[in-house]
Amino acid sequence: MSKFKKNDGKKAPGINTSSLPDIVFMLLFFFMVATTTKEIDPMVKVRPATGIGMTDLTPFKQRSEVDFVYLGQPLKGDVDKFEKGIAVQYDGILHKDGIRHIGKWKQDKFATKPAEYTAPREETMTCFKADEQVPMGILFEAREILGDASFYTIGYAASEKANNKGYNIRTQ
Amino acid sequence: MAKREAPEINAGSMADIAFLLLIFFLVTTTMDKDTAYARKIPKKVEVIDPEPVQKKNIYKISINNKQNIQARDSIIKPEDIEQLNSRIKHYYLINREKVEDRNVDYPYYSMVTKAFIDQRIAEAYNKQENYEKLLETDSKYEKFIEQMDNEIAEWNRKKRILDLYTKASGKKEMPEIAFQAHVRLESFIDTDYSAYVAVQSEVEKAVTEMRDEEAQELFGITYTSMRQYYQTNLLEKTPKVQEYKDKMDLIELLFPLRIIEVKPKR
Repeated sequence: MSKFKKNDGKKAPGINTSSLPDIVFMLLFFFMVATTTKEIDPMVKVRPATGIGMTDLTPFKQRSEVDFVYLGQPLKGDVDKFEKGIAVQYDGILHKDGIRHIGKWKQDKFATKPAEYTAPREETMTCFKADEQVPMGILFEAREILGDASFYTIGYAASEKANNKGYNIRTQ
Repeated sequence: MAKREAPEINAGSMADIAFLLLIFFLVTTTMDKDTAYARKIPKKVEVIDPEPVQKKNIYKISINNKQNIQARDSIIKPEDIEQLNSRIKHYYLINREKVEDRNVDYPYYSMVTKAFIDQRIAEAYNKQENYEKLLETDSKYEKFIEQMDNEIAEWNRKKRILDLYTKASGKKEMPEIAFQAHVRLESFIDTDYSAYVAVQSEVEKAVTEMRDEEAQELFGITYTSMRQYYQTNLLEKTPKVQEYKDKMDLIELLFPLRIIEVKPKR
């Protein structure tokens, strides 16, 4: 009598998955184009400073004309071991000499890059990615060392400020 | 031998492979952009008797260790930092295109004309000739001759820029701010990075806004978008890249961004 027959014994037809690879490849290509490779895993805590009208470093990265230095409190280990509690990270290491190592590090970086890939010495940028509470004294020390070694281009990293928000400046 | 059809390759695991790649890229890459304020460290030059910088040409901003800002004579609290924008614009614009009745506390403008540049080039050639005569007596004049070569090249560059300005605006005189005019940024050793960057941001923003406005008026395209294009396509030597470069040179000459960052003493 009932219109709804129980189709016992018959299985539901399988879903056609032949276009699944296409979809996944599409996603893959999107991410390959829209993202950039991570420099390194951070070993120091960096809360970025905010600002407006910065230069986008992506073209510099593509031409491998920029080296990053990270400054902030160490994520692991004893804060007191570092001068003023600020550790300086060069590539994968927190160097014990802190900022005074920067000249040697930059020199090594510059020397190991093939000449046709990099800009002249004065134009290779050293970008400071510093935590918002890093004192400026450290950065000026670095500036002096880099200036003496004639690496004249530097960058102060910051992230884009939201329009309706102020700068995150610590007030005392 | 009977013809056998090649067996079809099973593509069922294609999706797995693609997923694997996708997840690899998701893990190893980041979405956030790296952005920074690009600055130059000044080269060390030894000048025996430097010309003193006039007070009106300095816009001094100092930030203390409590993040309070002093711009010339006024104290600005960290939360009011956005005031800096209009103050810097005022500093640049108050004497612009004025020859008389100028405010004596702010940098003067000079009106550059073609005749003026030609005169300077002629002077430089004359000087160079003199040095060449003196070269027979003393070899130290070689350096001066080279210096004159640079000066002539610099004036010729300015001449090309003036041509472009005349073409774009129809004016024969180009206002140029005093070459000493600059923003002087002083900080303490304990000044926070974020406060320092915030001041840099305000200065950059003020100058960029003035540049954008001027570029829009002259060429119908903002300075920011020209710079964006130039930086991405820097390595290609197309006429458009060169055209943008020339236009940017002109805008940068009209509104130069000169920041002197002073090493903190305390």
